[in-house]
This record gives sequence, structure tokens and C-alpha cells, in this order.
Amino acid sequence: MNFEELKEVIVDTLGCDEDKVTEDANLMEDLEADSLDIVELHMALEDKTGKKISDEELANLKTVKDVLECINKAA
Amino acid sequence: MKYLDELLGIKYPVIQGGMANIATGEFAAACSNAGGLGLIGAGGIRDTDSLIAEIRKCKSLTDKPFGVNIMLMHPLADDFAQIVIDEKIPVVTTGAGNPGKYVDSFKAAGIKVIPVVAAPILAKHLENLGVDAVIAEGTESGGHVGEMTTMTLVPQVVDTVNIPVIAAGGIADHRQFDAAMTLGACGVQVGTCLLASNECPIHENYKAAVIKSKGSDTVVTGRIAGTPVRVLKNSMTREYIKKEKEGADKMDLEKFTLGSLRRAVFEGDTKTGSLMAGQTCGQLKEIRPVADIFEDICQNYEKVKAITIGA
Repeated sequence: MNFEELKEVIVDTLGCDEDKVTEDANLMEDLEADSLDIVELHMALEDKTGKKISDEELANLKTVKDVLECINKAA
Repeated sequence: MKYLDELLGIKYPVIQGGMANIATGEFAAACSNAGGLGLIGAGGIRDTDSLIAEIRKCKSLTDKPFGVNIMLMHPLADDFAQIVIDEKIPVVTTGAGNPGKYVDSFKAAGIKVIPVVAAPILAKHLENLGVDAVIAEGTESGGHVGEMTTMTLVPQVVDTVNIPVIAAGGIADHRQFDAAMTLGACGVQVGTCLLASNECPIHENYKAAVIKSKGSDTVVTGRIAGTPVRVLKNSMTREYIKKEKEGADKMDLEKFTLGSLRRAVFEGDTKTGSLMAGQTCGQLKEIRPVADIFEDICQNYEKVKAITIGA
């Protein structure tokens, strides 16, 4: 998954402004995602990539870049 | 569809909510002995030894199944999760967040995992992780609440998942039980109506305040801080909401409520204590034994079952 693809999923699930989604944007602080938004994003990413991400891994991710690295690392 | 009483091996399809500081081992045992599923609320427990003590107490008082509720925002949630595994607790419910990271270890220990959810999306996610059922709790309930009402949440969760759904929030008698089952629930969880029970270990002043209250006497504090909690209105909530409106920061507000639930439960301080209660408070008129409350709630169970089976 590349940054543009991830951005699309984030905009779609969080309903945030496209230009706010930068690599360094913090999901909770800058994109104002709450815990339910994170769950929705988690499921959308799994659906899109067919990969499994554990809740524990996802809980430690702060920025868009973190998410991208995590997905591309996941089996 | 499997009903809650069959799922858990209990008499009534009713779970006692895991109310922090209120749902002690003794109270959980009383609720299990009365035919429901008693829960020890770990939310108000301060250290691991105290949780073990409550569990052992409960085991000594009942031979019926009981569970533990783990409040996920609790700093010791990880340790509490390990204790329920070590103590071979048959059922665990979780509240105030996403319990995803614990599900595998609970399942491996043979524990039935039943998270409380306030939104269909979380129910779906947890179903994928393998939980046994979910408790769909509407905002009518007392304590920590979500946004959706029971009337809207329960059918939407039922449509979203294929596991049993337990309804909670706004259920205190047989009319609401019947309605919840019609919405597709397999059973219910109740909390507020048990505050008005003989066995409930809260201070008499707290019980009296619940009996006296009207349905419109509750208010939600902490919406701004992200920790919404439904309580009975009093001087504390008025002051809190004023501070919230003035833009007090999260830490300030937290200090303000620190210890307020304990003040209500143990000291009966109805002015500055946090009297957690749901909107059913207005229909509670007397203090009764838990067994009578469960029997009242389930009085039409067989009839409702006949209608809802296969629905």
C-alpha cells in the first residue's frame, strides 16, 4: 500500500479533509479520530489489504506514517 | 438463536452490570444466587490482591456461574486480565473501550468473552476477533455511556453481527425486557434497577436518592473530556458542568471527580458524590430483593421467546 492509497482509506473512514492527511499527521490529535474511528480504520485497512493487524499493534500507532509502515510490514 | 440463560447456564437471561465500587464479590454472588449472572466490577478495585479477595469471596458464597467486568481504562487492566485467567473465571465482560488485545488469551483459557459495545462497528470488529457475544449498551444507562440509544443500537448491532446480542441501558422491568427481546436481543444486562435492591451494598442515602429521583434527573458529565458518565444531578454535577462550559482542562476536571463515586457509595454523600444511575431511576419506587427484580423483568420471557424465535 502506498501513501495515496492509505490517504484515500483514511479520508473515507474518518471523514476528514484530504489536505490534513500528511505523513506526520497524528490520527487522534490532528485528524481528530476517536477510538471508534480507529476501529473503523482498522477494519477498512484489513479489508483493503487482506492483511491482519492486531489491536495491540494498532494501539501503539500515532501518525499516518506509523500506520503505513505497520501495514506494509504485516503479513 | 441461543438465549442468554442457555449460553451461560443460568436461570434468567439477565446479567448484573459490573458497576465499579458497587458490584462486590458478595453482591455478585447474591445476583448469581438469585438466578442471573453476577459480575464483580473491577473498575473500582485499586490493587490486584483486592480483586483476588473479591473473587474468592464470591466463590465462597455461590456455586453458580459468575463473572468479572474489566474496565479497560483502569491502569491495572492488564493485571486484572491475568487474574481472571488464573482464577478460571467463566465469563468476562469488558467496558470503556476496545478489548481486542485480550481476546486471544481469554479464549485460550476457555473464558466466555462478552464486551460492552456502544456502536455497531466495534461489535463487528470484536466478532471478527472471536468474542462469544456482545452487550449493546445504550446511552440510557448509568455510569460510562456512549451516544446511541438502546432502541437504535440493539437492532443495528443485531443486523451487523451473527453472535448473540445482549441489550443494556434503560431496562428495569418486564416491559423493557420484552421490548429488548423484540429488538433481537438474547437477554439483558441491568444495573440501575439493582441499586434499589436489599442486597446492593451502596449507602442508604444513595438508594434513597435513586428511589426519589425522576427519569429526568440524570445528566451526563464529561462529554467534553471524552469520558461521558451518567449520574444523578446534584451540586457536584452542577459545578462540574459549569467548569466544563468554562473550558476547564481534562486534568482539572479529573481532580474534581476524583473519589466522588466512593464518596457516594460508601459515605452516602449525595451532594458532592457521584451518584451513577441510568434513566430508569424514575420508575424505581421501592427497595426489593434481587430475586424479585429478576423475576419481574423476566415474567413474560416464555411468551416473548415464542414470538421472537426464528425472527
